[in-house]
Amino acid sequence: MNPRGRRQYLALLRKDLRLEFRTRETVVAMGLFSLVIIILFEFTIGERVGNTAPIAGGIIWSTLALGAVLGVGRTWVPEREQRVLDAILIAPVSRLVMMSARTTALVIYLLGVQVVVVPLAVVFFVNGTSAVNLLLIAGVCVLADLCIGIMGALLASMSVFSRTRELVLPVLLLPSLIPVVITAGGATDAVLSPSRQMAEYRGYCLFLAVYAVIFALVAYATFDYILDD
Amino acid sequence: MTDPAARRVLVLGVLTAVLTATGIIGLFLVAPEDSGEGQIQRIFYFHVSIALVSLLAFGVAFVAGAMYLRSQREWWDDVVFISVRLGLVLAVLTVITGSIWAKAAWGTWWIWSDPRLATYTLVILLYSAYFVLRSSAEGSRQARFSAVYAIIAFVSVPISFYAVRVAQSVVHPVVFTSSGAAMPHSMLIWFVVALAAMTALFFLLLQVELMQHRAQRALREVKLRLERG
Amino acid sequence: MSGGTQYVVAAYAVIWVILVLYIVAMGLRTARLAREAELLLRLLDDRDAAGTRDEAAGVGH
Repeated sequence: MNPRGRRQYLALLRKDLRLEFRTRETVVAMGLFSLVIIILFEFTIGERVGNTAPIAGGIIWSTLALGAVLGVGRTWVPEREQRVLDAILIAPVSRLVMMSARTTALVIYLLGVQVVVVPLAVVFFVNGTSAVNLLLIAGVCVLADLCIGIMGALLASMSVFSRTRELVLPVLLLPSLIPVVITAGGATDAVLSPSRQMAEYRGYCLFLAVYAVIFALVAYATFDYILDD
Repeated sequence: MTDPAARRVLVLGVLTAVLTATGIIGLFLVAPEDSGEGQIQRIFYFHVSIALVSLLAFGVAFVAGAMYLRSQREWWDDVVFISVRLGLVLAVLTVITGSIWAKAAWGTWWIWSDPRLATYTLVILLYSAYFVLRSSAEGSRQARFSAVYAIIAFVSVPISFYAVRVAQSVVHPVVFTSSGAAMPHSMLIWFVVALAAMTALFFLLLQVELMQHRAQRALREVKLRLERG
Repeated sequence: MSGGTQYVVAAYAVIWVILVLYIVAMGLRTARLAREAELLLRLLDDRDAAGTRDEAAGVGH
């Protein structure tokens, strides 16, 4: 990115974050929604299986993926509400900058939610764990959020220009995120299992990194066509 | 017959008929009974062919999507749309016949530990979203978004397969392999014939539907001109 | 039927049925094309009729 691009990127990101910081709408809604789902899982599945430790990773990441749909759905909402959605199509900002700013903002929202939800879920389902394990899970969060952010920014840009935006998005996003949920859940379970499975953990993290790189390339190759008039 | 499309339909039709007939006769009457699975193994020939051709269809959609984005020619959009629809039908067929096979071989209709059955279920979800997006996008965006999504979905297919496989190799150490890698030549030859038959059928149906789209577009043009005066 | 033959038959029957259903769907789309073509034909007929009436009116003046 050239200096001008970097300046635009920072300006866009700062605008998104400042809007979010002022209202806190998105992160709060995502967090509450995720907590409700965690509680749902606890009462429908957790109560019945008794020992939830082996399935904690799957539950955590299914929850976070569902919560992410809310955040991704908000991606272009400020522009839409101020009726400048079509104006961004002719804005003299490169598509790369626009999408990178969106992706970064999404990753930050997701991390903001996970800081609260993941420790709580670990307490609920595994009865706590060590600080090292939490750090390892934080690593999974960063990688998985990158995957969700890239895929989310890509698909949200298509759904926002469609007729039935909020209906299309989950149907588009969740199937594409299934590999992320599977592997992030697997990595989390590998950390939380009584004897920490580092080889497995590394394998899953590598997968997440590959996913992020591949779809970053796909996004790079296609978003000029999405944001095109 | 001067229309090349009509000639292609004729050639492909004859080819499909001959290959299908040869394949069916061969696999039921000539191919030897499998020593391990017995009669059940005869599902294999068309089941696997259909599965592979459905991937071929999605691959065609991927290439046509890229070609559409480059050239903006409506014809490529038709190819994407028809290929995805055909691929989806074939994927559904794969899952149904796979489920019948699971019942016959392992006694249950559904077996999540078979990575192919699980992956094809994900693939059906992925590509169903294509139609949701397509019906929701409007104007020039419809074809563009469809093409982009066909590209994203095709990239997702191997990633989903790998994610499912990795997750299962951890949970279920035994992976079912129903296709004998060491298939005797007396069986392999009929599999190749079945595969060729399904490939020919795919291109036949694609060709027929492309002609329908052509007729549709010509009619729309006539209508426009009539309305204009 | 023994040795799981019924499953083999079921699998091929399903393949057959779904392919036929696909062809039926194609047929329905063709029917729509035919309807559209007929509609255009009727439009043309109307126009021709209107045209001759106009001409007739023009001659009467």
